[in-house]
Amino acid sequence: MSEAIEGDRTFVDKFPEEARIVRAALLSSFLALVIGAVLGIIQTLHRTDVARIIPSTDYYTVLTAHGVFMVISFTIFFLVGLFTWAVTRSLDRPLIDIRITWTWYAIMAVGMTMTGVSILAGFTDAIDMSADVLFTFYAPLQAHPMFYAGLAVFIVGSWIAGADYFRTWLAWKRENPGERIPLQTFMVLMTMAMWYIASSAVAASVLIFLLPWSLGLIDQVNPTLTRTLFWFFGHPVVYFWLMPAYLLWYTVLPKIAGGRLFSDPLARVVFVLFLLLSTPVGIHHQYLDPGIAEGFKFISMTNTMFLLLPSLLTAFTVVASVEYGARQRGGTGLLGWLTDLPWRKPEFTGMMLAGLMFAAGGFSGMVNAGMNINYMIHNTIWVPGHFHLTVGTAVALTFMAATYWIWPQISNKPIYSRAVGLFQVVLWFIGMALMSNAMHAQGIMGVPRRTAEPEYSGFEYATMFGGYEELNIQIAIGGTLLFVSTILFIGNLVLTMGNPKVSGLAETLPPALSGPDDAPRVLDNLRLWVAIAVTLVVLAYALPLAAIINRGGLLGPGVGTYPVWLAPGLDALANAATPPLAGDAWASLVEVVR
Amino acid sequence: MGRNETAHAPADDVSGDTEEFDPIGTLTLIGIYFTILVLSWVYIYYIEFLGRDLVVVG
Amino acid sequence: MHIHAYEKLWLAASVLLILLLLGSVTYGAVGPGVAMVSDSEQPVDATALDEDERFSEPRVEQVGENEYAAYVVAFQFGFQPDPIVIPEDSTVTFYVTSRDVIHGFEVAGTNANTMVVPGEVSEITVETDEPTEYGLICNEYCGAGHHVMEGKVNVVSQAEYENQTSGGDGE
Ligand code: HEM
Ligand SMILES: [Cu+2]
Ligand SMILES: [Cu+2]
Repeated sequence: MSEAIEGDRTFVDKFPEEARIVRAALLSSFLALVIGAVLGIIQTLHRTDVARIIPSTDYYTVLTAHGVFMVISFTIFFLVGLFTWAVTRSLDRPLIDIRITWTWYAIMAVGMTMTGVSILAGFTDAIDMSADVLFTFYAPLQAHPMFYAGLAVFIVGSWIAGADYFRTWLAWKRENPGERIPLQTFMVLMTMAMWYIASSAVAASVLIFLLPWSLGLIDQVNPTLTRTLFWFFGHPVVYFWLMPAYLLWYTVLPKIAGGRLFSDPLARVVFVLFLLLSTPVGIHHQYLDPGIAEGFKFISMTNTMFLLLPSLLTAFTVVASVEYGARQRGGTGLLGWLTDLPWRKPEFTGMMLAGLMFAAGGFSGMVNAGMNINYMIHNTIWVPGHFHLTVGTAVALTFMAATYWIWPQISNKPIYSRAVGLFQVVLWFIGMALMSNAMHAQGIMGVPRRTAEPEYSGFEYATMFGGYEELNIQIAIGGTLLFVSTILFIGNLVLTMGNPKVSGLAETLPPALSGPDDAPRVLDNLRLWVAIAVTLVVLAYALPLAAIINRGGLLGPGVGTYPVWLAPGLDALANAATPPLAGDAWASLVEVVR
Repeated sequence: MGRNETAHAPADDVSGDTEEFDPIGTLTLIGIYFTILVLSWVYIYYIEFLGRDLVVVG
Repeated sequence: MHIHAYEKLWLAASVLLILLLLGSVTYGAVGPGVAMVSDSEQPVDATALDEDERFSEPRVEQVGENEYAAYVVAFQFGFQPDPIVIPEDSTVTFYVTSRDVIHGFEVAGTNANTMVVPGEVSEITVETDEPTEYGLICNEYCGAGHHVMEGKVNVVSQAEYENQTSGGDGE
């Protein structure tokens, strides 16, 4: 294309400072990915009883770390890296003050380290610290205060990152009055707006309830309230992981396919819909909770179902953009054009396979959203089966694939081996197909998630699409392939970093077929959308929250406190038949620690 | 603006090369997807879910 | 704003799909009568269940003709009573609560599944068929011994049920 001549300078040539921070963020992200993958394979082999190298009581330390590292640090560090790239690139101007940028990066890194250390300390009895509460940290199980404090610090860091993007955009706006917000920046701003709304609830829950409680300042908390505040955040965070992948599918994938985005206006509409609908749906994670009226659950389901729309629209727009690319490359026929796509490029194949898995995840997501069918799959391994397709593949595989494209742009170093890259993304797809499929099937049989030993003494699972054992083997093989794939990815990247710098790696992004001029101006009115989003959240949550507080009180009906960090697991096991450590016993323990 | 990447490209006028394009292949693929979704849903909801023991009725 | 005709078609199909999903769930609720766990029960004091009339002695009792109530307490790491014995061809309402942390109550392979939150009582009603032994598992992480938390739900014949409750240690 004609842009070839203009594109001779890469991102790092133009914005070396920003490129450095993008690299730093991506590397933090991948560090979490590797640790997460090691933990992932340990727990896969453990729960399928193929190899048990840790005691089962440590399984939950592993699982907490896997969850937190994967969906908090891997995803969000990649996000801030990508968004920094996207804002700078699409506004074609540096961030307003790189020191602020490094500040938020440092804050996020410190927060994640605090949380990570508090979790990993659970492996040793030498330190009186543990956070085996899983990434959902449901009270009254209680983690070490540093776990909550670290999360709060991390979130504050991400807020400053958002402010950085907004301020850079405002500066750009002053320099370019009357221009449309470039698409990538638009996506970033919409996503961050959603993030502010969503994370406010979990920040409040941590700062008002959980942290003071873990410090012993308040005696107890309301489990339903803190749970609800978690899921207020917990569903939109899913879209927070997904939006960077969408940004890549909309703006980078079409270009790699040799085409261009089908419709800029629709892309904007989709992001607006996500801002509006991501948050007022969290109660769909609480369909089987007592203490919440069925009506609230139904409202949440209705919102959730409509949240399918932007994803379904995305499927069309993205595939159409790719088809356009194939046609440009000479593709013909109803489906024959599929063979005219650059399947040898790891960035292309990786993203396409990620999209395909997302389509499959769309089905299990529909089931998760269906209120009463939740009885069948709630808290079974079906659920991890589902989200390893979505965040674990649609997001993770897209990130890895995009790295093959973006890393040369931000470092001037060509990828060490693109062939290994291609092998790696296909391997991930195969591994996940096996693991996730078997997880779904086991879930329907009733096999629970989050358990070290899903085989029980008193009964056996009924057979369904293959027996329990067979499905375990599938999970174990799939998990192993995923682990190998991750190692190949990281190895390739590390070797890439050892490559010498070269020139001529620059890539450009073509404009959309139907450009922003076709998009109504109102789409760019951020204030309006944020106002509507907040209104919808208030409508969806005011009554349920009021009802919950009304029932149990701000600090709950009588509920004890169960610190996982003071009563080592084995004690709890020994206590199984006797009344558990009560709140007052715990309070005296706190005194001793102080 | 030609010196940079397509930073401002989304704001550029692109009407020059927007020849009408009908994504018929996409429509076909997505039609297949739609059919699979509907069939799987009908199976899992009406046969698998409603056919199980101990349906919660109150 | 220009939207391609095919995309409009897809939009319409998508809305149709959403209506099918919402319609199915609604049908499930009004046809077979699937009801959600909800706020039907008053909160309880989880730290004082031994003073609670229903939960100080977890048990199954007959509450009407062919109607039974099962009061179940979940705790780290088990369920009480265990096994939960209920008669065939009857309507059984489970009232499940926790005396410590959040647990799950899942009768494996069936639709009887609910969260168990301390301070709240989960109420679910099911209809039993023939005698069967079901596994009961906690499907919410509840501490280091979570994986040993299991129980049984035994659906027995009417005769056997009466035998159990009249003789031996029953009430
Ligand atoms: C190396 C590849 C991976 C393997 C082998 C793996 C394996 C597993 C397994 C077996 C579980 C279920 C454990 C249980 O419920 O008992 C699990 C849970 C989970 N995985 Fe992965 N996973 C991998 C990658 C990922 C990725 C890339 C993500 C997200 C970006 C992810 C996010 C999660 C989350 C959030 C959970 C749930 C944790 C919880 O229940 O608290 N995993 N993983
Ligand atoms: Cu959700
Ligand atoms: Cu448990």
